[in-house]
Amino acid sequence: MVRYQRGDRDAFALLVKRYNKQVYNFVLRQLRTPALCEDVTQEVFMRLVQNAAEFKHEARFSTWLYAIARNLCIDQLRRLQHRRHPSLDQPLGDAGEGRTLGDALAAQHPSASAERAAVSSQVQASIIKAVDALPDDQREVFLLREIADLPFKDIAEITGVPENTVKSRMRYALDRLKQALCEFEEYARALR
Amino acid sequence: MDCEKFDRIVLDLMYGELDELTEAAAKRHIEHCSRCKGVSSGLRATREVGAIALVDPPDSLELGILEAERRLNASLPLRKKLGRGVSILAVYAMRPQLAMAALLLLMIGSTLFFLRGRPGARDSVLITERGVPETEVEHVAIRPAPRLEPSEAPAAAATSAMPKLASAKNEAPATREHDGDKPSEVALGAAETAKDSEPKGAATEAEALPGTEPAADSMDAATAAFQGGRYVEAQRRFEEIAARGGSEAPAAALQAVEALRRQRGCPAAAPRYAEVHSRYRETPSGNEAAWQAGDCYRALGELSQARQNLEALLEVAEYRSRAEAALQELTAREEQVASAKKAKAAAGAAAPAAGAPLPAAPPAEVKAKPKASP
Repeated sequence: MVRYQRGDRDAFALLVKRYNKQVYNFVLRQLRTPALCEDVTQEVFMRLVQNAAEFKHEARFSTWLYAIARNLCIDQLRRLQHRRHPSLDQPLGDAGEGRTLGDALAAQHPSASAERAAVSSQVQASIIKAVDALPDDQREVFLLREIADLPFKDIAEITGVPENTVKSRMRYALDRLKQALCEFEEYARALR
Repeated sequence: MDCEKFDRIVLDLMYGELDELTEAAAKRHIEHCSRCKGVSSGLRATREVGAIALVDPPDSLELGILEAERRLNASLPLRKKLGRGVSILAVYAMRPQLAMAALLLLMIGSTLFFLRGRPGARDSVLITERGVPETEVEHVAIRPAPRLEPSEAPAAAATSAMPKLASAKNEAPATREHDGDKPSEVALGAAETAKDSEPKGAATEAEALPGTEPAADSMDAATAAFQGGRYVEAQRRFEEIAARGGSEAPAAALQAVEALRRQRGCPAAAPRYAEVHSRYRETPSGNEAAWQAGDCYRALGELSQARQNLEALLEVAEYRSRAEAALQELTAREEQVASAKKAKAAAGAAAPAAGAPLPAAPPAEVKAKPKASP
C-alpha cells in the first residue's frame, strides 16, 4: 500500500491479486447473492483507489479494506431488503431435482482445498446454510474471523463494538454452528 | 486458572491470540478440567467442520478491477490529481534523508547568496582609502575616480590617476614647494598608476588606483608616511621595498627619491632621479624619473643635464610632446643665457659688477597637467 501511495500502480495489481479472493468470499457470504458480489468486490477496490491518499497506516491495511467491504455490504443489504431475493432453502425448480440454491452454491466450489473437496456437497451445503442462518451480527463476526482472518481486536474496530462483545458473538455463532453441524463433528474428529 | 476465566479466553486460545504464559496456564487447566476440555474440543471441532471453503472469483474480476482503476485514474479531476501528487510528494518529503538533503542545499544556497563578490567591481564607484591616521588628518575628502577615455589615459595617468587628497595638513608642503620643488603628488600617483598599469594598459586604469587592489602593507605604509609628511620614514620604507625588487621596485625607487626631494630639495634628488631612470629605463617609473630629473636640473640651472634627461624621453610616446616643449624652453633659456654673456662681453670690464651671471630663472612651469583632471 505504501508503494501504491507513492504512485506505483504495479503495487495495486499486487494488492488485488492478494486480497480479491478473500474479499470476494466475504462479500459473497454477506450478500448471499453471487450476481451482486462481483460488482461489490470491484467497488471495494475502487473505494480503496479513491481513498488511498487518506490511508495513514495507523491500522492494518486488511482491517481498512474489510471495513470498506463491510460498509458496502451493509449498504447493499439495505437496498436488497426491498427486493425479493431467492432463499437458499428455496428449491431451484423442476430441473433442479429437489436441490436448493445452497446446494448449487456449494457445488460451485471447484477450488476448495483438497480436504474440503473430499467432503460431500451435502456437507458443504449444510455449512453454508448454517452460516447463512446465523444472525447478521454473528455472521459478520464469524466471516471476518474465518475468511478475513482478522484478530478480534480489529473486528471490534471495524464493527464498532467492544472486543468482548465480538468474542461473545463469535462464541454464539460457533455454538449455533455446532448445533447445526453436530452430525459432522464426528467426521471432523475422524479427520484428525 | 479457573473455569470462569477459561471461558473468557477459550476463543483466544483457539485462535492463538494468547500470550505464552496464559496459553500455558490454559493448557494446564484443560489437562485437569474435563468440562473445559470438552468446551475447547467442541469449539475446535465446530470450527474445523464449519470452515468455509473459499470460492475462486471469476477471472474477469481481477481484470475488471484493474481496468476500472485505470479508468478512474484517467478520469480524476485535476484537483484530485494534484492532491494525489502532493500526497506522493509528502510521502517522500517525510523521509529524514530528504529533509537532510534539503537542509544541506539550503545551507549551500544561503552561503552562496551571502557571499559577496570581489570588492571594486568595474562599474561600481571606487572608494579609495589612504592609510592616514585620523589624528593627523582633519578631514579627508574622497572623490570617485574619473572614467577616462582610453586615448587620454596615458597622459592622465601621470597626474590624475591618484585621487586627490584634500587635506589641510597635506596641502601645506605642496604649496610650500610649489615654486621650487614641485609637489610630487603627481609623480606619486603616476608611479603607483604606472606600477599597476604595466601589464594591463590604460584601459584598466581604474583598477590601478591605490586602495582598489591588495598591495603589500609596507607599500601602503610608505605611501601613508609620505602623505603624512613623514618623508624620512617614507624614504626608508620605499628604499626597502625597492631593495626587495619585484614589480613594485621601480615605483618604490621613484617614491624614495620623491621623499628625498621633499627633504633636501633638487640638489640631492636630481642625481638620484637620473639613477632611477638609468636603472628602470624601460618602465613608466623610469620615464617619470627622467622627467623629474630634467625638471630638477632645469630648476638648478644645469641645462645640459636637463636636456640630456629630457631628450631621453623623446622616444617615449607619453612624454614626447611635453619633452619637446620643455626642450624648446630650454633652448630659449640657453639662447637667453648666451645673449646675456655676449652683452656682458660687449660691456667689457667697464662694469664688472654687471657681468655677474644672471640668477637662475625660476623654472617655467611645464604645463603637464592632465587633459582630463577630476
